[in-house]
Amino acid sequence: MITPASRFKKKLPVPYTDSLPDEIKGNVGKWKDRKFHDHGIIEHISESGEHVFSVKVGATPNVRFSTDTLRKFSGIADQYGIHALRFTRSGNVELLANSLENSLKIKQAVEDLGYFVGGVGNTLWSIGSCTAYLTCTTAVVDSPSLTKVLYDNFKSYFTGEDPLPAKLRINVGGCPTSCGGLVADIVLIGHYGDAPSYDPEKIKMCLPAKADSLDKAVPELVMVCPVNAIKAYKKEDNSVGIDIIREKCIGCGRCKDVCDHITFDPHKAGLSILVGGKTSNTGFGPALARVLVPWIPVRTPEYREAVAVVSKLIDIWKSNGKPGERMSDYVHRIGLSELQKMLDIPVTRWNKPTSPPSGFGVRQFLTE
Amino acid sequence: MKISEGEFKERENDDVLSKGLELLEYYEKGPWPSHVTEIRKTKYPIEVYASGLGKGESQWYGGSAKIRYVYVGFISRRSKDGKQTELHFRVFHPSGQFYTTEALGKLLDFADKYGLGLIETTGQTGGMIISMDADLADEAVDVLRSIGTDIGDTGDTFRDFASCVGPALCEYAMYDSLAARDYYLAYPPIYENLSNQQFPFKVKLKFSACPMDCARAAHRADFAFIGMWDGAPDVDQDLLRKKEEEGELKIHHLVEECPSGAITWDEERKKIEISAGKCQKSMNCIRRAFPAIKPGKDRKVALLAGGNIKGRFGPKMAKPVAILDDYRQAGDFIMKIIEIWEEKSPHKERIGDMLFKEGFGKVIDGVKDTLPTNLQGIPVGQTRIINSAVLNDAERRMYSEWARRITDEYGGD
Repeated sequence: MITPASRFKKKLPVPYTDSLPDEIKGNVGKWKDRKFHDHGIIEHISESGEHVFSVKVGATPNVRFSTDTLRKFSGIADQYGIHALRFTRSGNVELLANSLENSLKIKQAVEDLGYFVGGVGNTLWSIGSCTAYLTCTTAVVDSPSLTKVLYDNFKSYFTGEDPLPAKLRINVGGCPTSCGGLVADIVLIGHYGDAPSYDPEKIKMCLPAKADSLDKAVPELVMVCPVNAIKAYKKEDNSVGIDIIREKCIGCGRCKDVCDHITFDPHKAGLSILVGGKTSNTGFGPALARVLVPWIPVRTPEYREAVAVVSKLIDIWKSNGKPGERMSDYVHRIGLSELQKMLDIPVTRWNKPTSPPSGFGVRQFLTE
Repeated sequence: MKISEGEFKERENDDVLSKGLELLEYYEKGPWPSHVTEIRKTKYPIEVYASGLGKGESQWYGGSAKIRYVYVGFISRRSKDGKQTELHFRVFHPSGQFYTTEALGKLLDFADKYGLGLIETTGQTGGMIISMDADLADEAVDVLRSIGTDIGDTGDTFRDFASCVGPALCEYAMYDSLAARDYYLAYPPIYENLSNQQFPFKVKLKFSACPMDCARAAHRADFAFIGMWDGAPDVDQDLLRKKEEEGELKIHHLVEECPSGAITWDEERKKIEISAGKCQKSMNCIRRAFPAIKPGKDRKVALLAGGNIKGRFGPKMAKPVAILDDYRQAGDFIMKIIEIWEEKSPHKERIGDMLFKEGFGKVIDGVKDTLPTNLQGIPVGQTRIINSAVLNDAERRMYSEWARRITDEYGGD
């Protein structure tokens, strides 16, 4: 019988060791070295003398798979691998094997399915994408389709056919919330490029019914605005009205996050492009990406402007970055302002270069 | 002939849909595997996605669903035309996200029988996202539990926690980031809250076993645990020289590239020296020369707090709290910070927002007794990042013109 007590407690998949294949279970904490093969295969070498290979398969945009395709990957892992796979933090699929020979067979089988092996070493590791029009209510630009177009254009950077100076990560976010995060070398973010408006009738669903309540509490729609650009006031009939102050608004869309009836003009929507983010403590250390270009047009199906700007950024980095230097480290080294000069971008308050802070992560503990 | 408003709307919707369906076809072409092709193989209502693409706007509103006595772990949507609904489960991965084909098979069977046959392998929060048949969702919860996992990871409570691959596959791991995730998911004060929504907003913990931070803990977590060590890295000088002789690396590169400027070459004794005081634990030499250069043996876990992407005052990097001897030492600290957050913050403010508002140093200093080691570190100041813009028409034209020039350079249209 379903009771509150029977349903309330969560069943957790712990301990993690129960999920490991035997080949890994015996070697946890014993890995002593690794070798890269073929831009997509990592050989993990254990003190025990055992070797495990992971074969990284690039995922579809927004890492969406049919069960049919995942069954095929699973079948490949059974046929050539060690009957196991893992999903990476970015949602890519790593099939696990016990020899290089079998890893190469896995690679061939994956390619026969229309997928690619790569994303290891000096390559494009992944293009992260949020869900956008597939399920999200606040999405401005459809990140999965944009991600598809970017991957189509930059596939050879993933597979390693076209070498890069170092690892590259790109994130695509459909709205300023940017669920993909800002710790990527290049981040593209869909946004409205404008202040919001609203239907005066429908907006009532997001506001208190009577203005008397304004004395007691600030409506959530007003409170969530980080720049105080939304004001609530009492109307003559004791209902609540709002004003949106355009001069203050930064277009972040947090109001839309709590109210479906905030509307924007989709014709003014665009993409901002940020650079210089990464998670690793190497080079200049972890940092958030910063705005290089505040707005470019979004034109489906080809997203040509976005593809052109990203191509240009990669080309600049390929010609000027030192070997092994991440794009984010290159940007920190030369400065955002210098990069903007190289690109001849108009600078407004939205992409004014500031000296990017560094020394985040564990470096904040080192105080010599 | 005059048509009614309803008919007009219907025709307009048809136009949007047919444009959207054309776009879907476009996104099935090209060399990279297509999400559209994958979705077509499932029962997902793809026409809602097509309408969104056709209109240039997401066609989903928030929806509602009821699963008896389960309040966290599922998200429901309804399409703007009212014709479709969508429900998905956020399912806990095992730490490390390893699956035997047998275990994965059970989940795939589940996704077919109770869902739409569509899976997002790793959502941004960390869980596996399985699209569900809304009518079967209630029953599905128990089935999922019998497989050995559950739904969670939504709402204003503890979300799924993430860890890097850690010691399961990585030689750099300085503590067991996977066991740490397991420990905190099951830590009683946290576990009790996994089923409730009562905090101002979400809470995330992330565990990276080395400073390269593959779990993105320093940015994406309210509480970040990052493996590190005390002192300088350990050097096996003989092995290092051997690596150079074999052409695997150049020692002078390690010296020049060290971001901390902590490495010097002693020409007389033919060995490198690394200054413990200067070393910023960047991992630069370690990842180039491992195992000739390894993290020092005195292993620690750095605890940081207040990072987030989604928060009232924008994206933030986490600030330093303390260096722990063991990952298990932060439980009291976490719960005490949450207590203060509940008191100080309104809905939709993250812990990082509260720390910013109240003053990081002041709040952390007030709860230092919850930690066994001294507070340490100096937070780096951050400027606010605004990744959107409110442009006037002239500015929009200016950036369009700029984008046009770059586009022309790359093939034009």
